[in-house]
Amino acid sequence: MSEFFVFFLHGLAYAGLLFLVSAGLTLVFGMMNVLNFAHAAMYMLGAYFSYTLMLRTSGEIWLSLIICPLALFLIGAVIERFLLRRVHSFGHVPELLLTFGLAYIITELVKWYWGNYPLAVNISGFLAGTVQLLGMSYPVYRIFVFACGALVAVILALILHRTRLGIVIRAAVNDNEMVDALGINVPMVFMGVFAFGAALSGFAGVIAGPLLTTYPGMANDILIDAFVVIVVGGFGSLAGAVVASLIIGELQSFGVLLFPKLSIALVYLLMVVVLIIKPSGLFGEEQ
Amino acid sequence: MMNKKGLLNILVLFLILLLLPVILKKYHVNMLTEIVIFALYAVSYNLLLGYAGLLSFGHAMFFGLAAFVTGISIIHIKGIGLIEAVILGVMAALIAGVIIGSLLLRHKGSYFALLTLAFNALFYAIATKWHSITGGDDGLNVLRPPINLGFTEISVGTVQQFYYFTLIIIGAAIVFSWIFTYTAMGKTVLLMRENEERMKFLGYSTNIARLILFIFTGALAGLAGSFYTLHFQFVSISAISVEMTTAVLLMTFVGGTRTFWGPILGTLVYITLQNYLSTITDRWPLFMGIIFVLMVLFIPGGLSGLIINLWDRLKKEKTLVAEGNR
Repeated sequence: MSEFFVFFLHGLAYAGLLFLVSAGLTLVFGMMNVLNFAHAAMYMLGAYFSYTLMLRTSGEIWLSLIICPLALFLIGAVIERFLLRRVHSFGHVPELLLTFGLAYIITELVKWYWGNYPLAVNISGFLAGTVQLLGMSYPVYRIFVFACGALVAVILALILHRTRLGIVIRAAVNDNEMVDALGINVPMVFMGVFAFGAALSGFAGVIAGPLLTTYPGMANDILIDAFVVIVVGGFGSLAGAVVASLIIGELQSFGVLLFPKLSIALVYLLMVVVLIIKPSGLFGEEQ
Repeated sequence: MMNKKGLLNILVLFLILLLLPVILKKYHVNMLTEIVIFALYAVSYNLLLGYAGLLSFGHAMFFGLAAFVTGISIIHIKGIGLIEAVILGVMAALIAGVIIGSLLLRHKGSYFALLTLAFNALFYAIATKWHSITGGDDGLNVLRPPINLGFTEISVGTVQQFYYFTLIIIGAAIVFSWIFTYTAMGKTVLLMRENEERMKFLGYSTNIARLILFIFTGALAGLAGSFYTLHFQFVSISAISVEMTTAVLLMTFVGGTRTFWGPILGTLVYITLQNYLSTITDRWPLFMGIIFVLMVLFIPGGLSGLIINLWDRLKKEKTLVAEGNR
């Protein structure tokens, strides 16, 4: 019984991380209709920035949690303003190719600067400790990861549904020409959302460092899972991302426990089943 | 232009390729074989990207699947001929195309790109985990068997022999793809890209046309994959990895997606660059990536687009000069 509980908690931690990555991805896609292949590469940049920052300073993760998302926010803004906007009018394929090319370059730069091997990130303070849960000790950090995911989900939901900015963003998702006609600077909103998505990915990267170690393949590893989250949850749906992250996080975790040989295929199996039964995803609108 | 001029060009190119091994060193004949194989891979990819406007991030699953099936059948089926091993590989790619294609039938654009990437990742994961069959990271060593004609056997053991064999089979497949673009089916695909609503309205089943194209290009990529195993006499998970898809995307895009022969040019440039740049610097993928992004931004037509542009400009100037003289 307690073993199941431990794996359940592991699943929650991975779900938290997965949500942090896929939230930005699905937000940008829903808003701008751009599937950002560079999203996971920016997540990796966040992790590596955090590694260097923690090495050079006190070794506390709190500083990274503030600075790295800000750095990624700027990088995202620059990418949107000077690269993505140029090809936007040419349609989907150039946009996808551009973000794909950027991901490729970022990965190569990371290998060049930090080396093509894993780097361990150590945390200190109370995050490195354990807590007593149902008579077992469990690492605080994993709970922290899940808490971060949950907190971001709540904040995003509040912004989107309770603020004026949220109304503008949701309206622009629906019909950006109309919003433009109403006197709102849509290109500016696009840049903001893209940069915010980048910042979220950077935040996720910082969180991921101590959980999964930092290595050049980390971008591709999470990208596929985040894509599956989006397919299962439905394109552009935040609620879908929450539910799908939880399902896939737990599936990954219990898959290892129950079917060790099949665990790797379970996630894809889920994706195929969703594709057959409801191609638009659990929370997606019919195309 | 499927006309006499086009056919003549192909014939001349074929003759040149037939004669090249006489003057080239063994190393370069090897490289040329590789270029011919990857040219088919890129041509098949461009039928999706350039002709149908479908950006796939999973083309390596067909290439790699056929590469593995060919390699595994040579290892495990005693006395199998080369042709049979290739046919098994292509059949596997064909079947995979039918299954995955029918799942992706309704999806286009970003969704299609994402799903193909996910399926490629699934294939890669299976190849990595199924170590006992695929050899995983270590790969499989595959000895190239002779061609079995029943009454006699033809060996393709040497570099030259295999080059000619590749040139004939892969060359035929490339010409076949070229002819395909002029058939009713090929035209349907092209028109679908331009205006799908209208094609539906005219009574075409666009989903079925997309499915057939997907299966066809998958089988072509499979043929290239089978030859990849035969050429290197080795196959590992890198054949089915996302990097293999990236490679074909780069070749196709650098060459240009708006012409049939652009990807072939792209393959030539890519493999030559790869061979020379990788001896000079370890960072050549970085340069390749930067070139790629710059091309997406500034030369979306690729090298072939660039050449056609320059050619047109040159022609215009000539006619201007001629008019000035008059």
